[in-house]
Amino acid sequence: MPFRDEVIGIPSKASPPGTGQRAPSELSIDSLVEQHYGFIWRVLRGLGLSRTDAEDATQQVFMIAARKLDEIDADRARSFLYGAALRIANNARRGLRRRREVLGDETHDEPDVESRGPEKMAELVRARQLLAQVLDQLPEKQRHIIVLAEIEQLAVPEIAALEGVPVGTAASRLRIAREKFRALLEKMRAQNPFGDEP
Amino acid sequence: MTPDPIDQLGARLFEAARNETPPAGAEQRALEALRRMNSEERPTNAHFSARRKWLTASVAVAVAAGSALLLRPRDVSLGISAEPTTVAHREPERRAVSRVEAPSATLNPLPSPPVAPKLVPSAAPTAVHSAPATLSDELSALKVASSALSAGDTQAALAALDRYDRVLKGQKMRAEATLLRIEALSRGGQAAAASRLAQRFVEENPGSPLVDRARSFVQE
Repeated sequence: MPFRDEVIGIPSKASPPGTGQRAPSELSIDSLVEQHYGFIWRVLRGLGLSRTDAEDATQQVFMIAARKLDEIDADRARSFLYGAALRIANNARRGLRRRREVLGDETHDEPDVESRGPEKMAELVRARQLLAQVLDQLPEKQRHIIVLAEIEQLAVPEIAALEGVPVGTAASRLRIAREKFRALLEKMRAQNPFGDEP
Repeated sequence: MTPDPIDQLGARLFEAARNETPPAGAEQRALEALRRMNSEERPTNAHFSARRKWLTASVAVAVAAGSALLLRPRDVSLGISAEPTTVAHREPERRAVSRVEAPSATLNPLPSPPVAPKLVPSAAPTAVHSAPATLSDELSALKVASSALSAGDTQAALAALDRYDRVLKGQKMRAEATLLRIEALSRGGQAAAASRLAQRFVEENPGSPLVDRARSFVQE
């Protein structure tokens, strides 16, 4: 299995000039983790994984990237990681369900430690739970678009590149997804008019 | 103009998601796992991981012990019972297995003659399952899992362990199966899941000879 020395932060030799090959030092797994860890983790959270499951899944994404580092174009590294994250999220959701059935392995979605104060923490947890409920009801592609546009705040061309669709398609999906998201939120609010809002 | 309350609510939800940060130390743990993966994927005689040695030795010992038991299926003094038991109930008797896990077992993973560990105290068998898995079945499943793990195929290892749990409802080699699952989860990039399972194993089996092994997977 290909696994280069430079993968784990070991300085690598530059490509010979004129070969047209990318210098290995341009792309190392360390730099990928440094640049994209938070993005991939939040995407996985947006796709419905718990905090700890998202950590595991993120680690798997970078393991795949490490094994295929030779095949990854530096300019498309984020697309590669994003695609791997989508596949792993699907598998993880199935696998986690099975694991819990077999082992009774409960996961607790504890809040992040950086939340300030119990009230603020509770508010954030409620907000994230509500968001997860709404996202769960969106069709998968619309969910992707909402996560990328509203949580990651990417521009439509960037979303189009990640999703591998024309810019027009991405813009159209985003408009529909926003309408659907808004309708779902309104419906949930109407069904629970006395519930605490974050 | 009054802002739309739904839009405001949506904005608050997205902001909460944007402000969420990964668990403390998660990025560092990922880098460490990648380094471990790198070293494990290029093993040499001089740099053979301790985990691999442990795995090889323990499975080999388990297979040898199981074979010895299978050669004497009618020996009631061994106290093999089809009744499901928990790992915790078996711990004192399992020390026979643990002793063979000493480093010398790594060099000679198939001791001759094999030590036949007592598994459970004799008890009146109760027909819980119509066809309980035999020790041979359980050993075969664990051997498959172990081989897959040695080959780096953690998914196949987990599938074999799922079969051990769900189809065979394995009990006789439960502790070894749990340790293999922890190892498979860890090497498959699910360090947090491995840690949770290891933590539970440690809590439920404080006197187990395998507890130190499990504890090595528990994250701080």
